Amino acid sequence: MSALGRILLVEDDPKDIELIITTLEEYNLANEVVVTSDGEEALDYLYRRGNFATRSNGNPAVLLLDLKLPKVDGLEVLQQIKSDEKLRLIPVVVLTSSHEERDMVASYRLGVNAYVVKPVDFFEFVNAIKKLGVFWAIINEPPPGSIKAT
Amino acid sequence: MVVAARRAGAAAAILETNNDITERQRREQEIRTLNEELEKRTAELEAINKELEAFAYSISHDLRAPLRHMAGFTQLLKKNAASLLNEKSQRYVTMILESTQRMGNLIDDLLAFSRIGRTETNKTMVSLDQLVEEALTEVRQDAGGRNIVWRVAGLPAWYGDRSMLRLALVNLISNAVKFTRTRSPAEIEIGCMKQEPDQVVVFIRDNGVGFDMKYVNKLFGVFQRLHPTEAFEGTGIGLATVQRIAHRHGGKAWAEGLVDKGATFYFSLSKSPESNL
Repeated sequence: MSALGRILLVEDDPKDIELIITTLEEYNLANEVVVTSDGEEALDYLYRRGNFATRSNGNPAVLLLDLKLPKVDGLEVLQQIKSDEKLRLIPVVVLTSSHEERDMVASYRLGVNAYVVKPVDFFEFVNAIKKLGVFWAIINEPPPGSIKAT
Repeated sequence: MVVAARRAGAAAAILETNNDITERQRREQEIRTLNEELEKRTAELEAINKELEAFAYSISHDLRAPLRHMAGFTQLLKKNAASLLNEKSQRYVTMILESTQRMGNLIDDLLAFSRIGRTETNKTMVSLDQLVEEALTEVRQDAGGRNIVWRVAGLPAWYGDRSMLRLALVNLISNAVKFTRTRSPAEIEIGCMKQEPDQVVVFIRDNGVGFDMKYVNKLFGVFQRLHPTEAFEGTGIGLATVQRIAHRHGGKAWAEGLVDKGATFYFSLSKSPESNL
């Protein structure tokens, strides 16, 4: 098996976090997951400032990004990433409850790499999270400078 | 009402002594006032309608997250604690899961219904024949193994919103499949009843359990059901959705039925440009 890429999960709902992490653990995909619970913290992680000032170098292999977030919302985080020369290659997957078409269109306009609506049905949810984890942390070859477990 | 009263008061005095021009001016003024009133009322209704749609949407949307958590953690509980729970408790867990699933379906259907009211129609020439084919493919997957005799007559191409018309056909055909469950063979007929230059009527007829015409007005209401959920599953939004789709095409939906003798559902589509409501 190839090395596991770092996943940055940006999600404010603790219950969603637990369900996502539990699912990833089940498939041995959780070792490289970092969780930030609002947009500001996510940007702190990416820019290695605040609580993350001392973290080691490198970008996550993928960002799983909720849209409804406190402080800085998901679309703002996406915009910041995609307009920064050093960050814009990081694959960003929006993972949201929203079927709202304008959210989807706005995300694609800003350059999102994938848009996934969280299924209500638990088996579909598990399936979606598993596929996302396997694809973005294992199958996909992330851009240079991404963090991978060795 | 105010306008009418004012008219009555003014007319008595003016009519006797003034010539035709004054009378015409007065009438023109009246029409203007009435039009202004009407425009104001229309704007108000549109605003209220938009608000309602937004409300329905945000409710549906915000209900999804807690529901997902309930379903998720109950599923985990079932998995982790299965060996600790007695038979009765396991049944409770199953019932919670069934209820979350049902609520999920309700929310999804309500969302779809609300979306039809909110989104702009995107009208092009659509082959109704092809839409029926697509709808049949989708519905047949759920009807696996059933003995169903299909009679599909040729349908015209028509001007309309492809995805909405497809949804209307899927809803009606899956209804026909559902309510003929007790029949073997089930007979389902799909065809076009009337075709005029500016209107077409599509019908779906079945030999299923039918319904009492006494309740025909309830059929197309949101969350209205004429059968217990245990006998025929469903959320009660399907026909309301069909009705709304027909309205958005300048048409309407209606039904005929007899208890135990099957039902026929119709919807009409108009071609007029005013049908963009």
